[in-house]
Amino acid sequence: MKNYLPRKQASSWLKSMFLLLLTIACSAAFGQERSISGSISDRSTNESLPGASVLIKGTTIGVTTDIDGKFTLKVPAGDNTLVVTYVGYEKTEVSIGAQSVFNIQLNPSKTSLQEVVVVGYGSTKVKDLTSSIVTMKSDEINKTPSSQPLQALQGKVAGVQVVSAGGPGDSPTIRIRGVGSFPGRGAESPLYVVDGMFYDNIDFLNPSDIASMSVLKDASASAIYGVRAANGVVLIETKSGNYNQKSEITYNGYFGYQIAQNVLKMANSQQFTTMAMESGSEADKSYILNAMQRYGRSTVDPNIPSPNTDWYAEILRPAMITNHSLSFAGGNDKARYSIGGDYFLQDGIMKMENKYERFNLRTKVDFKATKWLTVGGNFIFSNALKYNNQGSAWSNAYYAVPIMPVYDPSNTLATPTDYSNAQDLGYRSGQNPFPTMDNNIDRVKIKKLLANFFLEFNLIPKTLTFKTTYNYSFQSIDQRVINLPWFIGNSFQNPDATITRYFTNYNDYIWDNVLTFTKSFKNHNLTVMAGTSFKDEGFTFLTAQGKNFPTDMEQSWYISQAVNIPAEAVSDNGGAQYGMSYFGRIAYNFKEKYLLYATMRADGSNKYQQKWGYFPTIGVGWVITEEKFLKNNNVIPFFKIRASWGQLGNDNIQASDGAYTTSVVTTTLGGVIYGGTVVSNSYSELKWELTQETDVGFTARFLNNRLSADFDYYNRETKNAAIPVSIPLVGGSVLKPVGVIRNSGIEVALNWSDKTANEKLSYSVGGNFSTLKNQAIDLYGQPYIDGGTAEFRQRTYVGEPLMAFYGYKVAGVYQNQGEIDADPIAIANSLVPGDLKYVDQNNDGKINDDDRIILGSYFPSFTYGADVNFKFFNFDFSLSVYGQTGNKILNRKRGEVIWTSDGNMDADLAVNRWHGDGTSDKYPSSSGLRRGWNQKMSDFFVEDGSFFRIQNIQLGYTINSSKWLGGNFPQTRIYLTAERPLTLFKYNGFTPEVANGWDNQTYPVAAVYTIGLNLKF
Amino acid sequence: MKTHKFFILSTFTIIFLVGITGCKKYLNEPPENRTFTEETDYTKTENMVQPLIGVYQKLNRVDEGWSDFPLISVRGDDVNAGGLGDQQDFANTDLYSYNKDYWMYNALWQDYYSYIITANSAMEQVALYKQYASNKALADQYIAEAKVLKGFWMFQLSRVWGSLPVPPNSDPTELFNVPLSTKNEIMTMVSTWMDEAIPSLPAVRPNERGDLPGGVTRYTALAIKALANLELKQYQTVADVTGEIINSGRFILEPDFYQLFKIKGKLNSENLLEMQYSDLGQGTGDNYYYLFGFFGPQGWTPKVAGAGDGWGFWEPSLKYIKFMLDRGEKTRLETSVLFTDRGILELRKDHPDLPSWISHTTPSGDIINDFAREMFVSGKHYLPSDQLTPGRTNYGTNKNFTVIRYAEILLMYAEALTQGASGAAGSADQAVNEVRARAGMPALSGVTNAQVMDEKFAELAMEWGTRFFDMVRLGDVNALSYDGRTFTMEKTFLPYPQFQVDQLPILRTK
Repeated sequence: MKNYLPRKQASSWLKSMFLLLLTIACSAAFGQERSISGSISDRSTNESLPGASVLIKGTTIGVTTDIDGKFTLKVPAGDNTLVVTYVGYEKTEVSIGAQSVFNIQLNPSKTSLQEVVVVGYGSTKVKDLTSSIVTMKSDEINKTPSSQPLQALQGKVAGVQVVSAGGPGDSPTIRIRGVGSFPGRGAESPLYVVDGMFYDNIDFLNPSDIASMSVLKDASASAIYGVRAANGVVLIETKSGNYNQKSEITYNGYFGYQIAQNVLKMANSQQFTTMAMESGSEADKSYILNAMQRYGRSTVDPNIPSPNTDWYAEILRPAMITNHSLSFAGGNDKARYSIGGDYFLQDGIMKMENKYERFNLRTKVDFKATKWLTVGGNFIFSNALKYNNQGSAWSNAYYAVPIMPVYDPSNTLATPTDYSNAQDLGYRSGQNPFPTMDNNIDRVKIKKLLANFFLEFNLIPKTLTFKTTYNYSFQSIDQRVINLPWFIGNSFQNPDATITRYFTNYNDYIWDNVLTFTKSFKNHNLTVMAGTSFKDEGFTFLTAQGKNFPTDMEQSWYISQAVNIPAEAVSDNGGAQYGMSYFGRIAYNFKEKYLLYATMRADGSNKYQQKWGYFPTIGVGWVITEEKFLKNNNVIPFFKIRASWGQLGNDNIQASDGAYTTSVVTTTLGGVIYGGTVVSNSYSELKWELTQETDVGFTARFLNNRLSADFDYYNRETKNAAIPVSIPLVGGSVLKPVGVIRNSGIEVALNWSDKTANEKLSYSVGGNFSTLKNQAIDLYGQPYIDGGTAEFRQRTYVGEPLMAFYGYKVAGVYQNQGEIDADPIAIANSLVPGDLKYVDQNNDGKINDDDRIILGSYFPSFTYGADVNFKFFNFDFSLSVYGQTGNKILNRKRGEVIWTSDGNMDADLAVNRWHGDGTSDKYPSSSGLRRGWNQKMSDFFVEDGSFFRIQNIQLGYTINSSKWLGGNFPQTRIYLTAERPLTLFKYNGFTPEVANGWDNQTYPVAAVYTIGLNLKF
Repeated sequence: MKTHKFFILSTFTIIFLVGITGCKKYLNEPPENRTFTEETDYTKTENMVQPLIGVYQKLNRVDEGWSDFPLISVRGDDVNAGGLGDQQDFANTDLYSYNKDYWMYNALWQDYYSYIITANSAMEQVALYKQYASNKALADQYIAEAKVLKGFWMFQLSRVWGSLPVPPNSDPTELFNVPLSTKNEIMTMVSTWMDEAIPSLPAVRPNERGDLPGGVTRYTALAIKALANLELKQYQTVADVTGEIINSGRFILEPDFYQLFKIKGKLNSENLLEMQYSDLGQGTGDNYYYLFGFFGPQGWTPKVAGAGDGWGFWEPSLKYIKFMLDRGEKTRLETSVLFTDRGILELRKDHPDLPSWISHTTPSGDIINDFAREMFVSGKHYLPSDQLTPGRTNYGTNKNFTVIRYAEILLMYAEALTQGASGAAGSADQAVNEVRARAGMPALSGVTNAQVMDEKFAELAMEWGTRFFDMVRLGDVNALSYDGRTFTMEKTFLPYPQFQVDQLPILRTK
């Protein structure tokens, strides 16, 4: 096919264009019919596009570009528009006006195989990939109104699980192809590479700063990042200008509100009173009486107290969200630039000082200083202010009783606010969430700076280049936690004003040197890259605390104003980690038919005893449609089979664990005391985890490129996972690099796009899904590893998911005395009707620890997403959905009952409790909830976490404005967005998005409704 | 011109590429924010002995670990659990009815394995000192001493449980990867360890050691080698090894058998290995003691008022006492057994002509009153109240705990010879008669194996389960089936403690 013609060298092309421009520009404007000329090139690579079609709109006048991508054309009088089309690129229209020379750059179309994707230390065309990479462009990213660009990945990329974080400014949890490192040690997050700099999180970037995000899913793609690659890699390119691009000023802004969704319905006063009366607890009954005495009786039902507080309604509020970004981009033949700034503000939905505000500035300039040298620089400065929420309020509001009002004017001793106190009614705790919400102020000032500078030498034009890049990142996180004093009751108060400050600085730099050789010899296309990298990562940390400082003015909130500065609260820490790496890549293809791709990275680090690790990968591809028997057919225009294997490292693992402890001992020999030492050794040397990944898949286009399909099977196995190994004889556990963890599954992505012949309507429909099987394969001979807590056990068995919930299976509820009498288990345990009936797994006629089973994992086994896009005249519409199944959530809020049985509960539990024969086979009775038998870890507490959600709906209207204000009216688009307007799930909580499966203080994820404006000058 | 520029650029490129390798030195940077002085300075070789003393501290355990010896030794027809109602599972073990969940099983396992881990650790530590030590032979000796003690503990564990994992080093988590060794393999291993240790150990009596009095010597190692080979029924090796000890001429039987188990027995020339305790000769202050109270009578009337009594466990069996009476033993019986009136009454039932010296008053003048838990009290674990350091009242405090003594060496020699081995240290008669003479028993001639085993019964009762393991080795289930209990060979080994089975999957394969 024509579009795969090899590119011709066009060294003096730009220079000639300048001359053309100078000579033609002044003379062209006069004649009736005039001649225009220009060139067509690829926007991302600047390569000229020979054979592109250039047509005058509504006519048959047109030409195709020559071998250098140039054209000349006679244009009739009047308003004309050029229409440029080229296979694999977006159709582009340019108004001719009085202009005579056109340097038109085409964007590769979204599903195009011509599209160039960034890979580590270089880029390559989609069709030459042997690996699984999914790229998301800025248009898509900006559809999601969020401070966090990663939120936009949710449901869009098969194999990537995004667990939203509700708190303003909080980062979502990202899992790429499962979890290969034992959870709970902060070693599971992917690597983010922002313009060459390594990050653990990219919360500082505004979505509008980003040009593209590429998820490198398999080893073939990510192994070039060696010891950092095992959890997957996300490459982020910030926006840059284009050479020979007209200056473009873009404004994009939106404003909207967040509304809490699926607010958990709690038992109301009537339901709560009923539960208390049935509890069998005299104390609980008396508290109801106390409430009636203190707050009066309900006018509807005199047997219930008058207050009917919905605590979640009280602590929630609709919250504002807004973003404004302004960007300037352009370029000539020597330089290109992109300068921008954005401001983001989001209030939290918790009714307290809870918000996130961020101001970003960025500049990126590339300059072709000489023919052989390009220099460039890039700055992003991010300045954020974050007020964290009071997490405990989410669980306090759950068990705060509804029979208590928020305020209690009779509580005259209360200060500064007369909040109510559940202890006044007899309850164990004060319950009211407001005192801490009002008086705990957790402020974080986050400043992050990213700077890159590079020099690129063209040693042999278009063949051999050398690039040296210095990437620098500075992060300052200044946190101040204030607890102001308050008094509600004698044992519900905070007597001391405390201030705690945490200062953390990160200073990282990476110096990369990369030599790239690209050459085609007849049918052989070869790219060879070799590079070195040096990395220096350091941090400092300091914390201190002060007690009892003057609280009236915020200006006094300093540790030095405090009466008491406890020495034990001062802590100073720091770290320095150095890395030295050598890496290389060979990408070869024969006639673009047989593909070979291999990379190797050697990473050295001072972190571990073992200094060097080696991370190879190899991938192969076969483009069947390049074979004679399939070539040039429109049913299957493209079909590529690919397979890859590689090894990846994870150096988020600590350097060692355990210790040599020397204890001094004495004994007597011959009646004399001798001193000796006993060295006990639990010391364990750790190293990076090594993950081995195999990926087999295909990429295909069908039916004239209208249908695209991607399929992958992956199997990633962490060979020496750091797992806790219990210490026989001594007790406790120590991390050892001896576990094997496997994640495997398939990923499928399909997309259909088409348009009507008149192009008034274009649309696309896409869908993706992925499966995940997470398994512990080897636990070093241990039968299992315990996690969670003794009350809420999570256990890892060989062959089962990591940290699966573990407990009893509920068979039902004992309905009547007859059922009790007939069951020896019920008799042996003195059960009564309304108690849970557990499954006797081993049929030994007893319920004991041996009857516990795996109740499920918090990792979803199936995730899916779909989206629909329409363009109809000037309207555009998009809708995306997301869902997951197979994961479980521990309803830890309900679990609180095992410690404090007198609190409130959700309405579902209150209404559907057992309260007589046949009333419920699911929940125990009110009194049963208070008995140990029913408080065992069981699937009463572990619930299905599946959900389906309408992720995003956007409706936009583009004002056709090219003729207004003499053509000076900006291109304008107005849009409405509904983010997460509907989520469907069965789980009895606020949100099924709970990163670690423990739902206690999870910040609920709100729906967001915004109106936005997009202007382009 | 073009090539010139290319050259310059290439030079730049090379400078960058090579320049970066200068950063390699950073890979050796140590981690931040830690104290480096906490590490042991192995050049201070004067501290080399400390890890070894740590191992002796495990041998001479104070207070903790008191249940280890009873569990190892309770089975057999020489002794009953005693205790009546207290620690029922301990009593059941004595009746060959085992409970894998019983805490004492797990305690013995954990204690002895942790001692072995400590010994391994000491061997590793001394090896680290050794590289800086001027006296490398001394380092080798310390390593050998730790190895001998490790062998002793492994020997005891395997007699109790049979097949076991053997810890290869000081890291307890390595137990996950160690296969089970059979009892024979372990005994062979212990024997080999002794062979490895012997050349480095001093050829003196333990009480002749000036540096670590009572420490392990070459003869201790030989004795443990003999014990291990006895289990393997390698009688010729037993004869060779015990013969070497006898021929050294360094060991003598303490003439006063009664006092051998009292203060006089501390660092006695008869002892090859003992657990050492001391109150430092002071009536108050630090006291390193074994919890002999476990073996003591309840509610006694000590000669020295205020001396504490015991818990009432460890009752010599009627079978043993009658056996001794029938042999006409006095010295060994009155040393091994303390009588209550209730016990004497019981004996009179079929020994109406009980010797008059049998009395509730011990030879030292302490009175053993009747108490419910026992009729008889172990004499070998008894320290007369008048031997307590004034001011000390705990039962048996300041007494050492004998582990291996020369009498056992002589009797093992005789046993080996009567099993057909040839010996270079005299005849079986000579060996047996040396032991008998001290006990005031007439000489025998042409001793048979059965006579040797009887002699061992008489001499070594209540000590380390020797009688039980002898009878098991000889397959004599009848001897062990007494007083209503029945022993069968499948009762030889205790079940692995459940706690350990839960932790170590390898234990589940059995």
